[in-house]
Amino acid sequence: MLITELKSKDAIRSLTDGKKVFIINCYGCREVYFPLEEAGELQAELASSGSVTGCITTDYICNPENLELYLKPHMDEITAADLVLVFSCGVGVQTVSSFLEEKMVCAGCDTRRLPGFQGVTPLEYDCGQCGECYLNLTGGICPITACSKSLVNGQCGGAKKGMCEVDPTMECGWERIYRRLEKIGRLDALKCPTQLRNYATGEAAGK
Amino acid sequence: MEDYTKYRLKNRDELAAVLSDTDHLFVVACNKCFKEFTTEDEPDCGAFEEIAAAEGKTVTGSIRVDFLCNKTQTARKLQGMIPEGTENIYVVSCGLGVQTVAELALEDQIPVYAAADSLNYTGHHGMALTEKRCDACAQCYLNITGGICPIVDCSKSLINGQCGGAKNGKCEVDPNKDCAWEKIYRRLEKQGRLEEFLDQPVQLRDYSRVNSKTVSEYVKSIRENRLDGYYGGVHPLERKEATEQIALQKFPEPETVAIPLSMHAGAPADPIVAVGDTVKVGQKIGEAAGFISSPVHSSVSGTVIAIEMRGHATRGTCPAVVIQSDGKNTVHESVQPHKGLDELTPDEITAIVKEAGIVGMGGAGFPTSVKLKPAKPVDTVLLNGCECEPYLTADHRVMLEYADDVIYGLLAIVKTVGAQKGLIVIEDNKPDAIECMKEKTAGYDELDVVSVKTKYPQGAEKMLIKRVLKRQVPSGGLPADVGCVVSNVSTAKAISDAIQTGMPLIERAVTVTGEHVRKPGNYMVKIGTSTKDLIDFCGGVDTEAEITYKAGGPMMGFVLSDLNVPIMKGSNGIIAVDPDQGAEQPCIKCGRCMDVCPMELSPLYFAKYADEENWQGAKDRNIMDCLECRCCEYICSSKIPLVAKIKAGKTAVRGMK
Repeated sequence: MLITELKSKDAIRSLTDGKKVFIINCYGCREVYFPLEEAGELQAELASSGSVTGCITTDYICNPENLELYLKPHMDEITAADLVLVFSCGVGVQTVSSFLEEKMVCAGCDTRRLPGFQGVTPLEYDCGQCGECYLNLTGGICPITACSKSLVNGQCGGAKKGMCEVDPTMECGWERIYRRLEKIGRLDALKCPTQLRNYATGEAAGK
Repeated sequence: MEDYTKYRLKNRDELAAVLSDTDHLFVVACNKCFKEFTTEDEPDCGAFEEIAAAEGKTVTGSIRVDFLCNKTQTARKLQGMIPEGTENIYVVSCGLGVQTVAELALEDQIPVYAAADSLNYTGHHGMALTEKRCDACAQCYLNITGGICPIVDCSKSLINGQCGGAKNGKCEVDPNKDCAWEKIYRRLEKQGRLEEFLDQPVQLRDYSRVNSKTVSEYVKSIRENRLDGYYGGVHPLERKEATEQIALQKFPEPETVAIPLSMHAGAPADPIVAVGDTVKVGQKIGEAAGFISSPVHSSVSGTVIAIEMRGHATRGTCPAVVIQSDGKNTVHESVQPHKGLDELTPDEITAIVKEAGIVGMGGAGFPTSVKLKPAKPVDTVLLNGCECEPYLTADHRVMLEYADDVIYGLLAIVKTVGAQKGLIVIEDNKPDAIECMKEKTAGYDELDVVSVKTKYPQGAEKMLIKRVLKRQVPSGGLPADVGCVVSNVSTAKAISDAIQTGMPLIERAVTVTGEHVRKPGNYMVKIGTSTKDLIDFCGGVDTEAEITYKAGGPMMGFVLSDLNVPIMKGSNGIIAVDPDQGAEQPCIKCGRCMDVCPMELSPLYFAKYADEENWQGAKDRNIMDCLECRCCEYICSSKIPLVAKIKAGKTAVRGMK
């Protein structure tokens, strides 16, 4: 589940200037989010300048088999275009670009930063996929995503009235953890030895 | 296919350490997501139980749940499942599942432990299990790198070219990996874009932390919208703008009509005319053949030229009475106005409705007279003006143009079932209809208009009842079980006609639309008119390419392979749309079908069981509760024809009895 936002009009215009464009919209994750109105407005502008060879609106272009089926009936329009402009998350753009390897394929959207992945359904919990779950020591509240500093050994001490010093509109994750542990009678969990976090990235982590 | 399972059981030593202080464990295991759906029995739950047993712990029980992070469904599944004497809960899932259970278990104050670690993948994968990933950096570089992501594919996430450490094209961090910047160079070379690339200014990456609150709040609002009124549902593009402002027009007199003897749930009607007979408008030509059945009437005056099998939009073929119109529209003598609503008794109204052949005009075709005699006391009548199907605007126009008739019909239903209240429920994408109905019902204490936020399948009666009255129709039950009767606005108009003019149900409002229809519109069409005539009258279609025609809307409509099928009592629209181009792919357990199913079912299992012909399994997972609303198929990222598989499953389960 990825959330996208439209690139600025200027950024898109600098890509499309003087070029013939084929447009692909992916609505697969629209139940979560798609910048529908903004994209529609922008594409109408492009179309009125007469530089659009074709446009398809479809879903799940991250699925290469189906992407091929979707694009097949439009290959003439794609050939006629200098640029294929994709309105989707980064996975969709990459799938199109590897299918049309010799075409210039560009992204019309930026994929918004998500702190931790969000599960299959929009949820208020985040999981930072740190590969070494701390939830056992924290009463089921994730210190990686609930604490601005992702501290794993208790609060930084900077919270003011229970609010985070980094973002005063956010509750201090460690205060929440303390309250939760208190509620379930497990404050003893705080007596555990100091946790060391493995910061290795990429494929090396968690494997 | 990549396996993006999000967790792995913690190792034995770590588990032993956590287990040492705890006993009497209940185990909750997630059935994993984003991996090919090959098995129902993920081994991790059993493996943990073995470790717990080996450590001398008592396991009070275990449950395996699909998509543990789906809070609504998980809460329901865990209800009453945790045995007495459980002191600790162990969760085998990723961090999301653990946090979900931790919150749900708060009430019981049972500590929750994670028995697994979340696996770390760089970036987010899409809705197909490919190697392509996106790190959601919020500053997409794909436009300058030929569509290869430097953040995910380069071990160092460099954005201004290679580090220089690659050996023979392989990454120095991970020698199994191709150097991403070499791949980018080759791709751009192939596209002749090297110069453009080398001329790019240096890219600066913004490493500032993104305010997680914005996303959290956004996600929260999405969730609220999703759960608004009832669980699940989807928001397909409405596409009603082509016809919503076009007034209903009388469709030209058909030369012949083919009136199917079955346009309703239950037994087909028995024909009571013969070939060669002269018939008039409103004359009964088929008699109801049972309690759940309905008579049919002629929509024209003329001569019966055949009684034969004809194409049928929902059943393939069906016996139909074919009538050649004489163009005179002579009305049958039996068509006479009845007494006023005040003088009619409930039984008399039911009889009129039955004789007029009125059935649910929203599509299901359940005989309305049966609904009017509910087995249980009814306090509220819901008049369904949602028209939640995309494209369709027939009910919308009926509400605007026949408001008085609709209200008369509603009053008749309220009186017949002895309800205290009649509510007209309209989705908020039809503000003019809401306005109009509010004005017209202002003088009636017992009537009210309810505006509801648009969400498909709101028009399904169970959803409607839940949304408006917060009542849950029991599994296998009827609206009357919770004191309701639900009827469609067009049905109410038909009831009004039957009482006020005596004219049985012989015509209805039909929307003809879809992106390929030249002149879309809304028409009052005589039952039995050929669908092909409607499409032709609307200027045909504007393309030579393949088109899908559907009787009804895009969600629940029936695909028409042949346009020579008659318009029926339940035909609310004919649409011509682009065909679905995708092909069925293996299920990847993305969980979306469960996320959108308004009946809170698990459609992915129905598909699996249909393929395996495991009908008992389908029955155990309550396949019979499925509304066939098609939300699951609409959202399916693998294009699995879920509804066809579910229908096959239902047929098989019915045969099991």
